[in-house]
Amino acid sequence: MGNSLRIEGLTAGYGSVRVLEDLSLSVGDGETVALLGTNGNGKSTLIKCIMGIVRPTAGRIVAEINGTDHDLIGMEAHDVVQLGIALVPEGRRLFPKLTVEENLLLGAYRKAARARIAESLEFCYETFPRLTERRAQLAGSMSGGEQQMLSLARALMTTPSILLVDEPSVGLSPLLVQTVIGKIKELKERFGLTVLMAEQNFQQAVRIADRGYVIVHGKIEFEGASREALADNELVKKLYLGL
Amino acid sequence: MEVTADLLVNALISGILLAGFYAAVSVGIGIAFGMLDVVNIAHPAFIVLGAYVAYIAHEMLGADPIVTAFVLSPAFFVLGLVIYRIYYYAFERHGQESLRSLAFFFGILFITEVVLILSFGVDYRLVNTSYSSTTWRVGFVDFPLRLVVPFAVSLAMTLGLHFYFTRTFFGRSVLAVAQDPLALQLMGVNPRRVKELAFALSIATAGVAGAFLIVIQPVQPALGRVFIGLVFAITVLGGLGSITGTMVGAAILGIAESFTATFFGPSWSPAVSFGLLLAALAFKPTGLLGR
Repeated sequence: MGNSLRIEGLTAGYGSVRVLEDLSLSVGDGETVALLGTNGNGKSTLIKCIMGIVRPTAGRIVAEINGTDHDLIGMEAHDVVQLGIALVPEGRRLFPKLTVEENLLLGAYRKAARARIAESLEFCYETFPRLTERRAQLAGSMSGGEQQMLSLARALMTTPSILLVDEPSVGLSPLLVQTVIGKIKELKERFGLTVLMAEQNFQQAVRIADRGYVIVHGKIEFEGASREALADNELVKKLYLGL
Repeated sequence: MEVTADLLVNALISGILLAGFYAAVSVGIGIAFGMLDVVNIAHPAFIVLGAYVAYIAHEMLGADPIVTAFVLSPAFFVLGLVIYRIYYYAFERHGQESLRSLAFFFGILFITEVVLILSFGVDYRLVNTSYSSTTWRVGFVDFPLRLVVPFAVSLAMTLGLHFYFTRTFFGRSVLAVAQDPLALQLMGVNPRRVKELAFALSIATAGVAGAFLIVIQPVQPALGRVFIGLVFAITVLGGLGSITGTMVGAAILGIAESFTATFFGPSWSPAVSFGLLLAALAFKPTGLLGR
């Protein structure tokens, strides 16, 4: 039973400003796809379109969950999540005045997640030992790295089939970026997740990606069918490596 | 005045009993203002409305006010749903809720008041229940049932709400909704639905508190205004977003008011209440149990 994502001819923007133009991409079952691009090129807008937070003006977004296709256009974010698509949002968006554990428990709100709540909670604490130490602490009082871990763990509590990650490296030290990216890979392998990750940090994103897209001014400028193809591309070198 | 042990203990006991009533009056504001960020200053008007409903049911059917309150709480719940919908479509959806909604709720306060005045006049109304004039005496301590019954029911109601908000999925989503509605959506929860139901719940508690009110003291349509300052003081003193905080705030102000009334005269009560609030906020701006 597959979990995949297909985006075709997506056009979206804010008011008269067009951010995405006729953009198409796909994420296959069990793949980790990196969405690369520097700031302001539309990565976050694309993720928001998938989640129903931004309404596209044209195009199709279809998610296949356990073999069934769902048209995501016009759905509200909470209904998208109910399907089994989770987002680790940019800026983490924790509930700062709730404890670590309360944040995690809220992740398990949807019915399918409640059934596995004890198991999920145990797994999260095992995978992120720092969260165990801080389970009774308010989420807002933790460090940036810990907050990113919690945001990731909370998304996992929804027991998703497809995981979207938006800019997980922002505001973290290089060492922490490495840890967070490593954790995403670990989770993906453990649960067989389909992952789409928007990231500016090329070196780190490419470490775990099966393939990727480079987005420039709202268009896909390059599609790398493999990790190596991405690393060898001239455009990537120009944008990221300053070569 | 001579301070005797007899007076002290009686003041303390009646303060605690009063606090039970205050908790019921404030818990709705604790939900709407403390958890949802909806500044419902019309809350006391719904309490007075609840008191009148209990009064009518008693006059016409001889029903006990507190029984009436629980039987009719679904009606108050629905009233709350309707008001939140209007509030949402008129203000919150456009992100202009703070100032304009204040005017909206002030309007509801006045409309409720005027409707009650037109229907019942400005006279005080009171319900005499079977337990209204009974007082238990333990040694030299008085336990007037007129206060004991609302106290017990209120304690059960507020504790029930406390456990509901801290132990259930829906309760936790209410605690989270004002902190970040979008993040809550990412948990698969519809934040508008959460706010709507929680607000409805807060109005239902107002209906119940209204029944307590008419058992405890005579009621006239404009009485709600007296409570506006008090309920916000209790909620802020106890700490926003915490039902136990509201209970603690109610206990402090109830006991303080009872002592002030006993030893200095009732007119000093508001000064003491707000003095305590100021002092508490100076040392702990989030309130006593606020997060």
